[in-house]
Amino acid sequence: MAGKLDIRRWSGVLDLGQSVSGVVLALFLWTHLLLVSSILLGPEAMTWVARNMELAFLSDDGHGYPWVVSLIAIGVAALAAFHVLVAIHKLPLSLRQQKALKSQMQVINHSDTRLWSWQAGTGIVILMLLPVHLWLVGSAPETIGPVGSAQRIWGEYGYLIYLPLLLTVELHAAIGLYRVALKWGAARDLNTRARLRTIKTVLSVLFVGIGLAALLAFIPHTPV
Amino acid sequence: MSGRILTFNIFRFDPQDAGDKPKMVKYQLEETSGMTVFIALNKLRQEQDPSLQFDFVCRAGICGSCAMVINGFPTLACRTLTAKYPKGEITLMPLPGFELIGDLSVNTGKFMRELAERLKLWLHPKGDDLNIHRLEDPMDPQEAARLYELERCVECGVCVSACATKQMRDTFVGAVGMMKIARFELDSRDGRSADDFYHVIGNQDGVFGCMTLLGCQDNCPKDLPHMQQIAYLRRKMASTLL
Repeated sequence: MAGKLDIRRWSGVLDLGQSVSGVVLALFLWTHLLLVSSILLGPEAMTWVARNMELAFLSDDGHGYPWVVSLIAIGVAALAAFHVLVAIHKLPLSLRQQKALKSQMQVINHSDTRLWSWQAGTGIVILMLLPVHLWLVGSAPETIGPVGSAQRIWGEYGYLIYLPLLLTVELHAAIGLYRVALKWGAARDLNTRARLRTIKTVLSVLFVGIGLAALLAFIPHTPV
Repeated sequence: MSGRILTFNIFRFDPQDAGDKPKMVKYQLEETSGMTVFIALNKLRQEQDPSLQFDFVCRAGICGSCAMVINGFPTLACRTLTAKYPKGEITLMPLPGFELIGDLSVNTGKFMRELAERLKLWLHPKGDDLNIHRLEDPMDPQEAARLYELERCVECGVCVSACATKQMRDTFVGAVGMMKIARFELDSRDGRSADDFYHVIGNQDGVFGCMTLLGCQDNCPKDLPHMQQIAYLRRKMASTLL
């Protein structure tokens, strides 16, 4: 029946769900990175951001509610899990598919296909690293200030996770948004597509740069 | 005046010969003015190796028979000038994703026929008036121009072999299938609704399985607007969800 959601229409829902969840996650990621990079403006700025994230302005004693951070972490985990579930079936899961992809990529020289293989590869790395990050923050929500973060990143070797996570997630998100834009017809001609591709690269480089600067800016705040 | 010497590395394999194994064979040939890869292949077959297999019919980029992978890019041999390669080295491979007939020749015809039968790629007239003597209503020139744009597909198979999604999933219809569906979807004489088309391409084998890698768009020798067309179909099919 027209317009009615039946099982045959699931692939459409999954495709749409993949795009929407990807866009929301990418926007969250960039907002999150900008908030964290408030450390670049000094510890006071970051403390102010952290307090507002904990909704300190709503509590009488000004301490806020750290569980809000845990709630955000759970929400992101749920959205990321949904994104993985709707996207994973597009990856070459069987050996036959992997062989077919490899031999095609060896014969055919195509940059957007290589870009997708980066998107898929970074997606798998994120799948392994993101749960650790969400657990570290979600289980200790009171530590999102400058000192707690510095201790987590540099005092407890969190950079081993955050450095690869930053690189992969910034590549994955920008490539993903570029693909979503093309997928649904944001580029009506090839010049617009070329421009979108340039914007994608600029965004990746810019956010990796900001992220690296922010990670380094935590070093002086690490408790001895 | 003598031209430079071109070096061709050509994939050779005869699946009919049980003892044969896939290999790359090197040939050398003097370049002539205005030489295309298609002309070079004919010269090689005429002068050096009559067993070399490749397809051609029109020599003018219309029949789509001579598609092959030239230095990593799938395209038509008859429209590729050898002068395009400054080093004079040209590697030729058959289109991946099709049944190999031999060397550079693949069976795109079998694939296209199966696809047409599966997707019902012919006009399904509105109503049940099957009188073939009745004159057709004139078509709006703008609509005719839009249809003509999509009718330019020569079924060369380049979009199929350039598509990694298609290589991973045999049942995926590829850009050629979606382009032809879009052609009938646009045709005001066709009686099928968006819902009918949904049953054909509104799934993982169709528009929602497309990962927008755009190998089709970037390699189509006829410069067909695959990117816009697939996005249009995706929006159209997604709108039936609401």
